[in-house]
Amino acid sequence: MLPGIDPYTTLGIAKDASQEDIKAAYRRVARRLHPDVNQNNPGAAEQFQDITAAYELLMDADRKKSFDNQIVKRASGENYNFTLRVTPSKRAVVPLPEPQVIYLLAEILPDPRARDQDQKRESRLNLTLVLDHSNSMNGTRLDKVKVAAHQIIDQMTKDDILSIISFNDRAEIIIAATPVENKHALKAKVSMMNASGGTEIFKGLSAGVEQNRRYLGPKLVNHIVLLTDGNTFGDHDKCIELARTAAEQGISISAMGLGQEWNDDFLDEIASTTGGTSSYINSASAVIRFLNDHVRNLSNAFAERVRLSIAPDPDVKLESAFKLAPHPQPLTTNDGFIQLGSLQANRLISVLLQFQMPAGMNMGFRSIARLVSAGDILSNQQQQFQALSDISLEITDNPPVEDPPIAILDALGKLTLYRMQERAQEALASGDVREATRRLENLATRLLAIGEEDLAHQARAEARRVAHTSNLSDKGRKTLKYQTRYLLLEASSEDTSQ
Amino acid sequence: MMICPYCGYKNREGVMFCEECGQGLKAEVANAVLPTRQLETASPNMAARATWGTARFGQDASIIIHIRDATEPVVLQPAKKTLLGRSDTSSPQKPDLDLTPFGALEKGVSRIHAAIYRSEDTLTLVDMGSANGTHLNGQRLVPDQPRILRDGDEIRLGKLVAHVYFK
Repeated sequence: MLPGIDPYTTLGIAKDASQEDIKAAYRRVARRLHPDVNQNNPGAAEQFQDITAAYELLMDADRKKSFDNQIVKRASGENYNFTLRVTPSKRAVVPLPEPQVIYLLAEILPDPRARDQDQKRESRLNLTLVLDHSNSMNGTRLDKVKVAAHQIIDQMTKDDILSIISFNDRAEIIIAATPVENKHALKAKVSMMNASGGTEIFKGLSAGVEQNRRYLGPKLVNHIVLLTDGNTFGDHDKCIELARTAAEQGISISAMGLGQEWNDDFLDEIASTTGGTSSYINSASAVIRFLNDHVRNLSNAFAERVRLSIAPDPDVKLESAFKLAPHPQPLTTNDGFIQLGSLQANRLISVLLQFQMPAGMNMGFRSIARLVSAGDILSNQQQQFQALSDISLEITDNPPVEDPPIAILDALGKLTLYRMQERAQEALASGDVREATRRLENLATRLLAIGEEDLAHQARAEARRVAHTSNLSDKGRKTLKYQTRYLLLEASSEDTSQ
Repeated sequence: MMICPYCGYKNREGVMFCEECGQGLKAEVANAVLPTRQLETASPNMAARATWGTARFGQDASIIIHIRDATEPVVLQPAKKTLLGRSDTSSPQKPDLDLTPFGALEKGVSRIHAAIYRSEDTLTLVDMGSANGTHLNGQRLVPDQPRILRDGDEIRLGKLVAHVYFK
C-alpha cells in the first residue's frame, strides 16, 4: 500500500474501531473485491491489495500505534487534500429481467483553500517538448512551432526544467534537460531547427522520455508534449508500451496533431494511457496558442499523477469511461484504473462512467462499485493522497420519482454526439457504407437541433462523401471527432465553486 | 427496455439518449417527438418560370409569405438569418418561423428545414439538410448551397407550398 493512505478509510471504519470491528469490516469489503469472484476485474484486484495491506497494518499493534501517532501529527499540519464526489444517474432502480445501464459522474475536487492561494504556489515543471521536424513541417509550421517554443521558454523560470527533442527518422537532442536559466542560449538552439526526413515517432518519444527521466521527481509536473504532423509506421505498439512505462514512472504525455495526416487513434491512445490530452490543431497559426495554453495549465497544477481506480462489483460491468473536464478525452478502461494527469488548483476533474447492471437483482440496498482516486499533492510534505467512495443503490419496486442529475444529462447529451461519429467510423471500418452514411446523417440532424450549424454542415458533407466514395476525408474525420469532443467543454465548464 | 420513439431502436433501461440516433429518451421529452414524415415520392420538378422578380431587398423591406391554403399571409422582417421549420419540444433550437400551424407535420417539413439569410441587399434560401427537400421555383436545392431569393418566388418545403413577395 502507498504510504500516506488511511487504512481506516480504506476499510470504512472509525478510528476507535475494535479488533473485531476491523476483522468484520475487512471480511465485508474482501467479499466484494476478492480475486476469486472477480476474474476479469483488474480494478478489484488492485483494490484488494490495498484493503489487505490496510487490514494487516491495523492488525499489527505496533504499526497501528505508530500510524495513529502520525495522524495526530498530520492533522495539526497544513496538509491539503482533494475530494472525490460521485453522483449516480439514479439512486434507486427497479429490478428487471434484463440488464440495465447506470452512469456515475466522478468528480475530483481540489482543496478549496488552494484556489485562494495566490500564484506563488505555482507548480514547477519538468517539461519535455518532442517536436516533429520532418519534411512536411517545412515552412510556416516549423516557424510557428519555433515561436511557440520561444514563448514557452519565456513562460518558464529557473526552477523549471526543460528539454527539447526534434525528430524525423532519427531523434536529435536540441536541449538536454536543464533548468531554464540562460533563456537566450536556449532560444538560439531552438532557432537552429531545420525540416528534413520522415516521421518516426518512437525515436523522438524515447529520447524525450529519457531526457524527462533525468529530473523526474515527485515535486515536479513531469510532462512530455509530442507535436507531430505525420503518421509513423510500424512502431505504434512500441510507442504505446513506452507511454505505459512512462506513465508508471509518473510522466504524462500530451499529443498534438497538426494538419490532417497524423493518426488520431494512435495519438488518443498515447494521451489517455498516460493521463495527458490529445488535440487537433487544424492550422499552423493555432500552434502557438495551443502550446502556450497547454503549458500554462500545467503550471497551475495542484496535484499530479492523479488516477482513478475502478472496482465494479462482481456482477457489474464497466462499459466505458470518458473524461469530461478539464479537457474532454476518451479513456481506456482495460487496466481497471484510469490515468487522469494533473488536477489544477481551480478546476475539477470529472469523469463519466457507464456501467451495466445484471438482470434480476435482489431487493434492498446493494453496492455497485468502489472508486478510489489517488494522486500526489505537490505542496504537501507527505504527497501521496487517496480518496475513496463506495457507491450503492437501492433496488426497489417503487423508486421515488427523480430527475437525472442535470450535469449527467448535459454531459450525456453531448457525449452521445461524439459516440455517434465514433460509431459511424466503426461502421465504415467494417465496410458498412450505408450504416455509416445513416449514422452521419443522424449526427447532422442532432447537431442541427442543438444549433451547431457548421458542424452539422460538415457531418452532412461527410455523409454525402461516404455515400459516394465510401470514405471520409481526413479533415472531416478529424473535425467531427475533435469538434464533437469539444462540445463537452461547454457542458463541463462549471468551476469548482459549487 | 426503452424503445426510441424516434427511430425504434431498442435501448437498455437506464440509457438516456438513444444509442442509435441520439434522441433524448426521457419520458416526457420522448412523447412529444414527432419525426419528420418521409414523403412517398417527391413531385416532379416544375418547368422553370420565364420571368423573374427583383432580387433587390431594401434596407427596411419585409417579406410577405403566402402559404397555400392559409387564410392570412405571414409578414417577416428577416434578420441576418431566419430559420424555417417545425417547432418541437425536444429540440432546443427553435425555428424563427414555425410552420406547425400550417400543417407542417403532415406536409413533411423538418424541424430545421431551411433558412433565409440576409446579406446587404439580397436574400438567399438554403436547405438545411431537410428530409423531404426544399424546392425553389420547382427546382430542388442542394443542401447547404445558398440560392438567391427573388420577389414572387415559389418555395416548397416538403409538400408545403408558399409564395414569397418583397415589400
